[in-house]
Amino acid sequence: MAELAASPPVAVPAQRTGVHLPRWASLGVLFGLLSTVAIALYGPIGVSGTYPRFIGAILRIVSPGYAASNSYLVKMGSLVTTETMLVVGLLVGGFLAALLSGSRAPSAELVHAGETSVGRRYRDAFIGGLLIIFGARLAGGCTSGHIISGITQLAVSGVLFGAAVFGAGMLTARLIKGGR
Amino acid sequence: MTLLYALLVGVAMGALIQRAGASSPKMILASLRLENLSIIKFMATTIAIGMIGVYLLGNVVPMHFDIKPTYLVGVLLGGLIFGTGFAVGGYCPGTCVVGIGERRTDAWFALLGGVTGALLFTLVYRLIEAPLIKPMNYGKITLADVTHWPPLAVAAVFAALLLTFVAFIPTIRASRQDRREPAASTR
Repeated sequence: MAELAASPPVAVPAQRTGVHLPRWASLGVLFGLLSTVAIALYGPIGVSGTYPRFIGAILRIVSPGYAASNSYLVKMGSLVTTETMLVVGLLVGGFLAALLSGSRAPSAELVHAGETSVGRRYRDAFIGGLLIIFGARLAGGCTSGHIISGITQLAVSGVLFGAAVFGAGMLTARLIKGGR
Repeated sequence: MTLLYALLVGVAMGALIQRAGASSPKMILASLRLENLSIIKFMATTIAIGMIGVYLLGNVVPMHFDIKPTYLVGVLLGGLIFGTGFAVGGYCPGTCVVGIGERRTDAWFALLGGVTGALLFTLVYRLIEAPLIKPMNYGKITLADVTHWPPLAVAAVFAALLLTFVAFIPTIRASRQDRREPAASTR
């Protein structure tokens, strides 16, 4: 409770006054239209496949023999895909939105009781990053590919993945909060 | 041309994620602790609008649908591992990239962890493919296939449920002390 005492950095939802939608609602409508446009233009949005494609691109230079023999790298293919372009766009979009809105993101937010130093926050970010990509690749997609695009297309896999993510996420957040 | 479309979609998506606060680990944890549901509501609204959008538009123009297969063990186990990492780090594979764009230093560590996770997965893929990915694969099924309803009807019901949830569940949970005062619902 105490570590969350400071107000959230950007997304304070507006009070519902008159016709004004809260920020999450108007941004959600825009994101929904964007994901529709993406599927109309070229295909559903997705992100996490870019990580193993990046590994593949490096291994094809460093160890071409191994890269050619690894069936997963062969299956994931070249880094030149729409998904990679989307990820480059995310970087640019995050940069531009922060710049144009004048919102300054903190260098690191301490989010758990055990994060008593910035170093421990970096450790948690690293461990979390490792787990999300390993889990996403095992399941075949992440928040964008499985949850946003998957459930949007009514995929059973997306619904199951989403339920597992929020179940484990809420439980873990609760366990960590209890102190470790 | 599709590469350019994807780049532009990415820029817009990155900006929306940044403005929604979804690239903030603090906001992610507030959602998972059910203290501030604005990110979950943002996602639910996105999905509700998207499912109506794609299946309405699908009646007019050809759509590039791509359904991911439902292989029960891998999808569920992967989701549990993902959810654990989501709560530990507060980032998703995409939001850490947005976070780097808005100059969050810890987002680099999430990205580095992600690259390490991808390398690990690549190395063990041959071992886990048979026990975790191959079994109980029901293929590229949708809720419309399961219910034998028209996709647009399923989308309408699902979207109505999601929008009911976002409209009626309070976004910010009042703390225990404030709970009796209705005015104290926003902090």
